[in-house]
Amino acid sequence: MRAYVNTPKVVACDRESGGRDADWPVLRTRLGGVRERSDRDLVRAARRGDRDAAAALFRRYWPTAWRAALAFTGRQAAADDVASDAFERAFAALDRFDEHRPFAPWLYRIVANRALDLLRAERRLSGVEPVEPVDAGPDHRAGDRGLLAAVGALALERRTVVLLRYGVGMTPKEIAAALDLPVGTVNSRLARSLEQLREYFEVQGVGRD
Amino acid sequence: MSGETESKLSQLFAQLPEPDSELTERALVRALAALPTRPRSSERRARAFAFVLAAVVALLAASAGALAAVGALHVSFGQATHRSPRSVVSSAAQLTVPAGSGGIAATVDGRLWLTTASGLRLQGLPVTAAALSPHALYVAVGIGHSLVAMAPNGRRAWSYTAPGSVSAIAWAPDGLRIAYIVNARGRFRLYAIEGNGRHSRLLDTAVRSTRPTWRADSLALAYVSAGGRPVIFDFAHDAHVLVSSAAARDAVFLAFAPRGDQLAIATRHSVLVNGRALPAAFRDNGVAGLGWVDGNLAVALNGRVSSVFVFRFGRAGPLSHVVRLVQPARIEALDAWDSRLTLALAADSGVRVLVDRPATGSRSQVVLQLPPRSAVGTVATR
Repeated sequence: MRAYVNTPKVVACDRESGGRDADWPVLRTRLGGVRERSDRDLVRAARRGDRDAAAALFRRYWPTAWRAALAFTGRQAAADDVASDAFERAFAALDRFDEHRPFAPWLYRIVANRALDLLRAERRLSGVEPVEPVDAGPDHRAGDRGLLAAVGALALERRTVVLLRYGVGMTPKEIAAALDLPVGTVNSRLARSLEQLREYFEVQGVGRD
Repeated sequence: MSGETESKLSQLFAQLPEPDSELTERALVRALAALPTRPRSSERRARAFAFVLAAVVALLAASAGALAAVGALHVSFGQATHRSPRSVVSSAAQLTVPAGSGGIAATVDGRLWLTTASGLRLQGLPVTAAALSPHALYVAVGIGHSLVAMAPNGRRAWSYTAPGSVSAIAWAPDGLRIAYIVNARGRFRLYAIEGNGRHSRLLDTAVRSTRPTWRADSLALAYVSAGGRPVIFDFAHDAHVLVSSAAARDAVFLAFAPRGDQLAIATRHSVLVNGRALPAAFRDNGVAGLGWVDGNLAVALNGRVSSVFVFRFGRAGPLSHVVRLVQPARIEALDAWDSRLTLALAADSGVRVLVDRPATGSRSQVVLQLPPRSAVGTVATR
């Protein structure tokens, strides 16, 4: 279980997800016990006009939000637009945010919706679903790039849940809440997506080192 | 296998590249600018007072209504024929195609409103730029870094990933090329792409985001350099020609004539055509737009009175204005095409987009009404 929660106690980073812990919104200790402010504290301060708090909130979530946008759109240029626009909208709507709820799923929901808006607008205007290979990182091998392309080829609804689950790390319950879907629908989309990707593995031999 | 797939996916996403640090700082600035501003305590008190006052007024109104209902009080609210500004705004019409034209488009508050005679209708699509092709056969829109073209009848279309956020688009008169400007890390660059979405070509690395204008033969276009000087790019010779007139510095609008090679250049307070200043004093007025209508030059001015002057050109140069259309509100944008002027007018009651045909003297046709303080980007009728 990953922790979005803003509990005052210090919890350990979740390392199961592999390398994403630096961005993960858990409470950490640094410099001999200096405690990071919780999301809730930062949101409250930002609402009062504390720009430092807002900047801290931004820096905490920007990398993950940007990478999620990249995974959604497949293009770094589009990720720039989507993530930046999502933060603008989130900060503009901070007064309406229910501070009793976790901040991260709310933000990622905005990122997802902005990415979907962009992709749908492109599809609506061009008449075709834009399927483009993800601008992969330098560490990605050819097989990885193929898998990223396979994720990019998933239908938008399936791609969304896969990215929120494995790219952002949200639980099916959190995804369901973020997308206003029943948990069962999220689980079935995940299962079908994994099945589709598994078939891709079988054809391409990707992931069998 | 499913667990292996899940693990693989998590690892792959964790290896995605990091966002660019320069971009991160720019995004942070934008995000902070979007933070809601907190009202000062005095403002909060004023708001509380206003709220209490409104509650009292509402209570009195309810009492009056009750008395009126039982006939104890006669209530009248002005003339029966009066339309309040609010009712004008609330009855905002959908964008309607002016008679005889192929389509009309307007960008308002960063959203595109578009209607074509062939039946395409877009209402409020978020865009960074938009342009109709000649006769509204196609539309090109910038959606962030994407330049997308589509045929209103659903025929072939394309999407091109631009090297920056698309900020201005201009179709060539023959429809075979599109000039577009992108904002690449704070610098505006000018590109041209073929009408089929292929062979994008960089024309200038430092320009202003002023919309370029094409010469009638589609073989040259004019744009504003980063230094504010008009530049003509000649496709036939692959050459840049700087318009050297000192009076043309800090150009804000450019418009090639629909025939020939006359280029009109507007600065904030003057207009030049082929290097010669128009015989009109713009000192106390700001130029709000420029275009060619019926072969004559239309200049929109905002001053104590907002007007559109139409100048006729003879062999000896421009005559004085032949038509002056006084506008009841501030002119926010002007577009001219063939015999039509499209204007966006902003008043306290709202923003109106209307189409006028100066040569006919017919009444302006209002094609879109919007709430007050709507920010109009561009308007166009084709």
